[in-house]
Formats: sequence, structure tokens, C-alpha cells
Amino acid sequence: MEEFQPHNDEMIFNAEEAHNIVKECIESILGKADYSHDKVNQWTATIVEQSLTHLVKLGKTYKYIVTCAVMQKSGAGLHTASSCFWDTTTDGTCTVRWENRTMNCIVNVFAVAIIL
Amino acid sequence: MDEFQSGEETAFVVDEVSNIIKEAIEGAIGGNAYQHSKVNQWTTSVVEQTLSQLTKLGKPFKYIVTCVIMQKNGAGLHTASSCFWDNSSDGNCTVRWENKTMYCIVTAFGLAI
Repeated sequence: MEEFQPHNDEMIFNAEEAHNIVKECIESILGKADYSHDKVNQWTATIVEQSLTHLVKLGKTYKYIVTCAVMQKSGAGLHTASSCFWDTTTDGTCTVRWENRTMNCIVNVFAVAIIL
Repeated sequence: MDEFQSGEETAFVVDEVSNIIKEAIEGAIGGNAYQHSKVNQWTTSVVEQTLSQLTKLGKPFKYIVTCVIMQKNGAGLHTASSCFWDNSSDGNCTVRWENKTMYCIVTAFGLAI
């Protein structure tokens, strides 16, 4: 799927590729850790920055927004929703949900094509 | 800040967007207590209401609106976001709202076309 690099007028967001990139970032940062109040700020910041860096390295003409939420597992309910007003043929989103024993992590990637 | 609208103001105006979001939240969940069965419909209605008010502004922007509602129960929640865009024209705005039983965090991103 990755070699399918269409020209400027036919760009499609490759959600699978983005999914893999983000999953690797989360694993490398949270992989074996337990929820820690002191470290969580630094984790969320690192996850979004690393994911963004890898996405940009793909070299496609897209603007990206990456958001990450890390929540301690304690029985609380959490709901998220998002709505987008864009060009559905070229723009796209991808959400990665990850968890371990002590925390949940949800990362959203939104990719918006740049019109040249 | 609102008079800065001489026909075609194409910048992301944070105050304007922040008010739109606050009204959408108040309208959807203001005065309600956390209820598992209703939360799905609340988050959906907050994002849809916000998005439709933003598009009514008629500016040449693409928008992304996200909403998180969390029950107040002592759990820690941290969120972060990172954006790769054009700093001069694009922007975002986050509104944090809470009542006795829940937190609501809504973020709107606007990207100039």
C-alpha cells in the first residue's frame, strides 16, 4: 500500500500507514511503564512530537494535527467525539487506542491536504 | 475583537471560536449530571453544534473539532496535541468546562485553505 504515491491532484490519506507509525511511537514510550503522575506530561508531549515528526517525514503535502490523551485506569468513564469540515476525498483521520494494566492512551491523527 | 470583520477576515479568531464552543457546551450539557447512557449523544451534539456554527462564519477554513467528556472520579487525564501547519493562518482554541460530576474539554482547529 505504501508505494501508491499518486500525483498532486489525487492524494489520499493512508490511514494504515499513519496507524502503524503512531502505534510504534506509543509502544516505544509507554510500552512497559505504569501510570505515573509526574511523567505523564512528558509522555504525552513526546508521543505527539514523535508521531508528528514521523508523519512529516513521509514527505506528503499535508498539514497534520496529532492529539494524545492518557488516562489512568480507575473506573471513570471517558467519551470523545470529533467532527471535521474538510475535503473528504483528500483529507482523513486515524485513531489509535492503546492500553496496558494501569492506563489508557488514545491518539488521533488528522491530516488535511494542502492545496497548491 | 468582533469589529475586525471587514468582509473577508481570513485569520483564525480565537475569541470568536471560544464563544461558539462555550455556547455549544452549555446548550448540550449545561445543568446535567454525568450519565453513561447520554454521554455519547452529548459529545456528538457538542461537536456538531460547534462545527455548524464555525462553518456559518463563512471563512475559507477547514475545521476539526474534538470533545472529551470525563466523569469526575479522581482519575488523572492528560492530553497533548502537536500541529504541523502554517502558523500565520492556522490556529486552535481549547475550552475546558466542568460541573460537579464531569469535565468537558473541547478543542477546535482551523486550517486555512
